Amino acid sequence: MREKLLEVKDLAVSYHGYAGEVQSVRRVSFDVNRGETVAVVGESGCGKSVTAKTIMHLIKTPPAEIKEGSQVLFNGEDVLRFDKKRLSQYRGGEAAIIFQDALAALNPTMTVGNQIVENIRHHSSVSKKEATAQAVELLRMVGIPQPEQRVKQYPHEFSGGMRQRVMIAIAFACNPQLLIADEPTTALDVTIQSQIVDLIKELQKEKGTSVILITHDLGVVANIAHRIVVMYSGKIVERGSNLSIFHSPKHPYTNALLEAVPRLDLVNKQVLSSIEGTPPDLLNPPPGCPFCSRCKYCMEICCTEEPPAVPFDEGHEASCWLYALAEPCKDAPFTWEDRK
Amino acid sequence: MKMAIYFVRRLLVMVLTLFIIASATFFLLAATPGDALTARVEKLPDAVAERLYAKYGLDRPIMERYVTTMSGLLHGDFGDSIIYQGQTVQSIIKEKGPISARLGIQQMLLGVTVGLLLGVLAAVKKGTIWDYLVVALSILLISVPNLIFALMLQQIFAGNLGWFPVIGWPKQNIWFGGWEYTILPMFAGCFGYIASYARLLKASMLDVMNQDYVLTAESKGLSRGEVIRHHVLRNSFIPIVTQLPMSVAMCITGSFFIESVFSIPGLGLYYVNAVAAQDIPIVMGQTVILSAIYIAVVFLTDILYTIVDPRIRITGGKR
Repeated sequence: MREKLLEVKDLAVSYHGYAGEVQSVRRVSFDVNRGETVAVVGESGCGKSVTAKTIMHLIKTPPAEIKEGSQVLFNGEDVLRFDKKRLSQYRGGEAAIIFQDALAALNPTMTVGNQIVENIRHHSSVSKKEATAQAVELLRMVGIPQPEQRVKQYPHEFSGGMRQRVMIAIAFACNPQLLIADEPTTALDVTIQSQIVDLIKELQKEKGTSVILITHDLGVVANIAHRIVVMYSGKIVERGSNLSIFHSPKHPYTNALLEAVPRLDLVNKQVLSSIEGTPPDLLNPPPGCPFCSRCKYCMEICCTEEPPAVPFDEGHEASCWLYALAEPCKDAPFTWEDRK
Repeated sequence: MKMAIYFVRRLLVMVLTLFIIASATFFLLAATPGDALTARVEKLPDAVAERLYAKYGLDRPIMERYVTTMSGLLHGDFGDSIIYQGQTVQSIIKEKGPISARLGIQQMLLGVTVGLLLGVLAAVKKGTIWDYLVVALSILLISVPNLIFALMLQQIFAGNLGWFPVIGWPKQNIWFGGWEYTILPMFAGCFGYIASYARLLKASMLDVMNQDYVLTAESKGLSRGEVIRHHVLRNSFIPIVTQLPMSVAMCITGSFFIESVFSIPGLGLYYVNAVAAQDIPIVMGQTVILSAIYIAVVFLTDILYTIVDPRIRITGGKR
C-alpha cells in the first residue's frame, strides 16, 4: 500500500452569519497518497473550496469555525494545530494552492518575478539574484516564452492562461509535496483549460507531487485524477477510482452529474440533462440524505435517515440507501450503457 | 509619442479650464450689486468719485472690462488692488503665501501622518476596541468644525496653562522660526486630515485585505506583518495618492477660520476680505492662481497614479 501524505478526518467547518450557522462542510474524510491526484468534484456551494482552504489553514476564524474533532493530518501532523512558525513553513513550502481567478490572485502592483521570488526567499535563504534566476527557470518550466523579459512584467501584461501558469510557477517554487488546485481552469477558455490541466499533470509526474484537484467539471477530471471524491452539500456522497466513478457510478447524484456532461462520441442533438431543483439549505440541513429532494430514486427512508457509506470494490463507496436496505440493489438502477 | 500627445492635450484642457474659471469669477463678481468703491465714494464729491472710478476702469461697460481683465490675465497682470492701496495679487501672494503655506504644510504633515497610522491600526485591529476608538475619534473630528477646536486649544493651552502664545505668528525666519506660535494653529487645523485619512486608509485596507492576492500571499507562508507591508499597504495607498495632492493644494490656500482665531496674517484672511470688499483684481488674481495650482496638482496626481499602479502605465494615464 502506498504511503499516505494527507489525511482529512471528520472535517467540519461552519460559517456564522446573521441568519445563523451555515454548515459548509459536514464531517468529511478522505486521504491523498504520495504522488497521487485526487479530484474533489461537486457543484457550487458544496463545500469543496472551503475544504481546500482548510487544508491550507487559510480559513478565517471568525466568521468560520472549524469544529471540534476535525483533523487534517499532513505526514501525520495535524495542520489545524500548527503554530505560526510551523504554519509558515508548511504554507508555500510543503503545500501550495492555486486559485480559480489568477488575475485576482496575483498582486497587481508587484512584478510577477517578485511574487515568485518572495515565495522562494521565504522558504530558503538564497540571494535575491539567485532567487530571480530560479524564478526565470520556473517560468520557463511552466511554458512561458521569453521568461527573462516576462519576469519583470506585471500580472496585467499576461493573458489569462499565462497568469494561471504564473500561479503554477509560484506554487511549484519550493517543490511542495502537496498541490491544491482550487478550480484552476474555471476562468479559462476550453482550449487553455486542457493545456493547464496537462501542465499540472506533467509537473506532478516529474516532481512526484500529490495533487488535490477541486472542480465542478468532470471533463477536467477524467484524464488526470487517480481517484475521485464526489461532494454534495458538505458531505462526500461517493468516492472511488477514476474508472469506477466514470464507468460504474453508484450514487444517483454522481450519475446525474455524468449525464450532464456533453459527450463528443455521440450523435449530435442529444438532450443535455440537468439536475432539477437546488441543493438543500445548509442553514438547516435535512435529516436524511441531502440529495433526496432531487433524486429520481428517492424512497421514504431517504428523507428521514442518513444513508451509511456502502463499500463496493476496492475503495469505491457510496452513501445511498439503494445499497443499504435489508434487500439491497445489487447493481445501480442506471448503467454506463444508459448514458449512451 | 503617445505620452507627448497626452501631455499636449492635457495642457490645452488645463488652459480651457482656467479660462472658464476666470470668466465665471468675473461675471459672478460683476453681477453682485455695488462695487469695491461704493462705500468709499459716498462721502466724496462727485468729481473725485468719477476720477476714482476712471482710475480703476470701473466706469466702463462690463464687456469692455471683461476684455481688459482677460487680456491682462494673459500677461499675468491682474491689476492693482482697490482696497489694499499699491498692492498687486502677486505682491500679496508673495508676502502672505509662505505664511499660509507653512501653516498648511505643518497641519497636513501632522494630520496625514497621524491619520494614516490610525487607519492602519483600525484596519489591522479590525473589530477590536482600537478599531472602534479610531472610528469614534474620526467621527468626532470630522463633525466638529476647526473653529471650535481652535478656540478650545487657545483657551486651554494658551489661556489657562500659558504654554504657548495666544495669538501671533513668527515675524522673522518665516519658514523655520518661532515654533511656539505655530503649535496651536497646527493642531487646530490637523484634525480634519486625521479623520479623513484614517477613514480613507482603513476602508481601502479592508477592501484590499479581502482580495484573493492577499490569500495567495498568505498561502506562501508569509507572516501577517509581511503580507500587510508587501501586499496590502501599497495597494491600499492608491486612493491615498489621489487624495494627497489635493490636500497639498488645499493647504497652500490658507484657512480663514484658523487664521482669524490666531491672528495669522495669511492668505485666507486676505482672500475672504477681498471677496467681501469686491476687490475684483485681487479676487480674480487669487482665484486664477489658486485654480492653476489645483489644476496642475490634478495633473500631477494622474502622473503619480501611474507610478503607484502599474496597470495605468502603458497607456500613459487613462482618464
